[in-house]
Amino acid sequence: MMEEKQCCVTLSVQPSRGLVDEKFIVLVQNALPSSQLTIRALHQCEDGHSWHSFAHYTSDATGAVNVSEDCSVGGTYTGVEAMGLLWSLKPVPGSKAGLRMRKKNVLAPMVVTISVYQGHLSEGFGNQEPLAGVEVERWYMAPGVRRIPVTEDGLTATLFLPSGPGPFPGLLDLWGGGGQLVEYRAALLASHGIATMALDYLTCKYTMETGTFVKQDYFETAYKFLQKHPKVLSSRMAMLGLSLGTSITLRMAVCSEVTKFRCAVCISGSHIQPMDGFLKETLDYFFRNSGKTRFTKDDEVIWRDLLLPIPSDPSLKVDVGKLQCPLMLIVGEDDQNWCTYESAMDMKAMMERAGNSHLLTLLSYPNAGHLIEPPYTPHVRASVFRDVQSRQKLMALWGGQTLEHSRAQEDAWRKLLVFLRTNLYGGVKPGASSLSNL
Amino acid sequence: MPSLTREAHCCHLVVESVRSSAGRSFFLSETRGFLPGLEGPALASGSVEILTKIHKRKTGRPFRDGIMFRAHVSVRTMRQLFKAGFRVDWELAGLQRHTGAVRWKSNTRPAPVLTAAPLRSLVDEPVSIRGHLLPPRCPVTLCARMHSDEGDLWESFAHYNANESGVFCLTSDPSVGGSYVGCQPMGLFWSMQPAPGGREGLRLRKKNVEAPFTVRISLLEGHVSPSRGQLNELAAVSTERWYVAPEVKRIDIRQNGIVGTLLVPPGPGPFPALLDLWGMGGGLLEYRSSLLASKGYVSLSLAYFGHKDLPGPPDRFTVGDSYFKAAFQLLQDHPQVVSDRVGIIGLSFGSYLALRIATIPGVKPSCLVCINGPVGSTWSVTDSDGMTEHFDSFQNYWNFDDEGRVIFKEVSLPANLPPDSIVQLEKLDCPVMYIVGEDDLSASSIENADLIEERLRSAGKSHLFTRLSYPGAGHLIEPPYSPSVRSSMWSVKPKKLITLWGGHPAPHAAAQEDAWNKILDYFEENLRS
Repeated sequence: MMEEKQCCVTLSVQPSRGLVDEKFIVLVQNALPSSQLTIRALHQCEDGHSWHSFAHYTSDATGAVNVSEDCSVGGTYTGVEAMGLLWSLKPVPGSKAGLRMRKKNVLAPMVVTISVYQGHLSEGFGNQEPLAGVEVERWYMAPGVRRIPVTEDGLTATLFLPSGPGPFPGLLDLWGGGGQLVEYRAALLASHGIATMALDYLTCKYTMETGTFVKQDYFETAYKFLQKHPKVLSSRMAMLGLSLGTSITLRMAVCSEVTKFRCAVCISGSHIQPMDGFLKETLDYFFRNSGKTRFTKDDEVIWRDLLLPIPSDPSLKVDVGKLQCPLMLIVGEDDQNWCTYESAMDMKAMMERAGNSHLLTLLSYPNAGHLIEPPYTPHVRASVFRDVQSRQKLMALWGGQTLEHSRAQEDAWRKLLVFLRTNLYGGVKPGASSLSNL
Repeated sequence: MPSLTREAHCCHLVVESVRSSAGRSFFLSETRGFLPGLEGPALASGSVEILTKIHKRKTGRPFRDGIMFRAHVSVRTMRQLFKAGFRVDWELAGLQRHTGAVRWKSNTRPAPVLTAAPLRSLVDEPVSIRGHLLPPRCPVTLCARMHSDEGDLWESFAHYNANESGVFCLTSDPSVGGSYVGCQPMGLFWSMQPAPGGREGLRLRKKNVEAPFTVRISLLEGHVSPSRGQLNELAAVSTERWYVAPEVKRIDIRQNGIVGTLLVPPGPGPFPALLDLWGMGGGLLEYRSSLLASKGYVSLSLAYFGHKDLPGPPDRFTVGDSYFKAAFQLLQDHPQVVSDRVGIIGLSFGSYLALRIATIPGVKPSCLVCINGPVGSTWSVTDSDGMTEHFDSFQNYWNFDDEGRVIFKEVSLPANLPPDSIVQLEKLDCPVMYIVGEDDLSASSIENADLIEERLRSAGKSHLFTRLSYPGAGHLIEPPYSPSVRSSMWSVKPKKLITLWGGHPAPHAAAQEDAWNKILDYFEENLRS
């Protein structure tokens, strides 16, 4: 059947330029009424790999589809999912295994092509002309946010300052065992009004040049640098860590005399680490336990058992009972990389015993995995991971089921922002037992 | 005294005793709105909250009858409190109105927040501006600033009052002073004017359509006039205003003698198309066609006068009907264009051209939008090459106001137009929308609209005619939310000449918004369904 090429089908995405954590509305109009349509998203990463998602809809009597209101009946997501086209993105068929989508250049947006096709297609998109298509930009940086590379004081970091006169609360942002200087979450937090410094602590200049890992003073230096910045409110500092970054965050929050945080956020991490050392000793501790590594039938590496069972020896755990600031723990219960859930339960018990559990906010998500990232970014259950010490590349199993993991990312991010705002912008000094400290 | 960095905007006082040494009681007043610097024992405040009774202070000395409350006071009021014998313990926040060098550090009250959504938008999309975490009923000034492509500064400001909850929202609250008054959600954008001290006779026209304008909106305390010195910025937000949607393609057209720019929407197409024509100011303006391409129309901005790539001298009219026909066909023949869905939009002389092109044999546009233009021309657009009338030679009908500004209006009075230049309106076969700015000082729009309407009626074609008429709007009815000017520089040689366009800011802005929506609907109806 010859399809009549109409010029009236329109596809619109509002906003066409949004922040990565903003929702959009995808609307098809003037298609044939009650017809089968496929909406597809295609994105080419900076590394050249292509990711796509698609969903099957039926237009209504006016020939319209509204992704925020209508039900997908098939594709990479089903049901009513306003942002499904983004969070269900997967590498296109034929891609190599173990890909993970991470934005390197935060100054440019992520560009996604969203198209609508006649019929319910699941493949062969390249062979069929879409009825309409638009391009959507997803930005990590709001207008006016400034990106400032930091190399002073021996640091390898990037500072993101929100737009406006300031001054702003400050936040140290740490990622995990893969190292590198990962900027996108810091850029996004700055877009929400927090002066955020992403810190490389594993592959930083100091470590690359000396071959030794940094110690506690590196993070204290980072804290002091941020704190004394003219645009930063010195009394309103926070720290956020994911995975190995959690180990550092908890250590600094509890043990450092220098760092005084208003609050801390720990995602997918643990308090278990040898207290008589620091980063190097923590990594050695993992290495010594590496015999507990398990493998899936596809040779994906499961590292969650390395720190199990949770030790009762206090010299192997950060004493979170001594914590004096609010702590948010974000946990994926299907985390296959760290024993995040068990650690969180142990931390909770420690805090209850110590009487400071009122400081704890625990967000625990069934079927979410290890990589709990800003919302609407695609979930991968496993990906290639290069271990910083051994330099070996392997396929790490992160865990999580896409739908629940994506929901968790959205919920956790929203709550994380509220938590940070409340503690960094809020009135009363949190945790103060008397109001005399106003 | 604590260290002095400005941080936030209210003052927390811890009053150790409600009974002064003189035995007087101190009463908390009823809230009467924010009045900084109020004399007398009363504290004026939007919200006086009694937080708690403290029994023990940090120093270990117990309170007696201690009441701690949060209020908004000025330094002067606090001095009066001292005089009245109260002991005041400082752990202070910033002040609503700091006096000179005195600033107070806070780690209590958060700084006000200013938000704009969306942060990146097309120029014809509204932006929602809100402020919160302000002191209740706090007076604020919003100031918008941007630089044109040429580097000129444009700015606007407006006075608002936060509500009881310390919130204001431009979509619902009225401005009580400044560049505009009343409830105008986009007022900060359309009321911008060239900043004082800048170049004369400016008009805002985007030249580089692929880069956005950045508009910086700041929140200042009190009702102030921003141009008077450096004032205290509480918060600021930057927004980007784009003329192109992502991946709209811009293509220079220099073929078959046609000088123009093609703007193509993203996507496979095919698309309906539009020929985009401006007035005798000349040049090549792409900002309206960029927006139209962003809405899914392949758009061709066409230069026909005053462009270096056109034949002949820049002050002569050197193209004829064949030029415009070729441009129209270029659109029709484009592989991504549906050839029987091509319309024309023209402003001023471009409006005349739209009507004229529609009557060229073999050219059948699907619809026309004509804005404030004549049905005839004082210089002829002929088929032959080398048309040589000099634009300035027809100055008979130029008028001048007291300031020497030229008013072109009478040039296009139907009675003043050469009869053989008048378009054969009865030959029009497509829908025509004519848009009138009733305060147009550059063209006799009303009279020309009347003429078109009458001629079409006589030809039994009234059904083709739609008229939009806007009181208070001037000549330059452009896409919405952009600053408009009542006059601007027309020419610098042989002598400096400023022309009056007409229009008053608020009604002109309203006209632009309404007209643009109606134009887009009109194109949807006639080009897409």
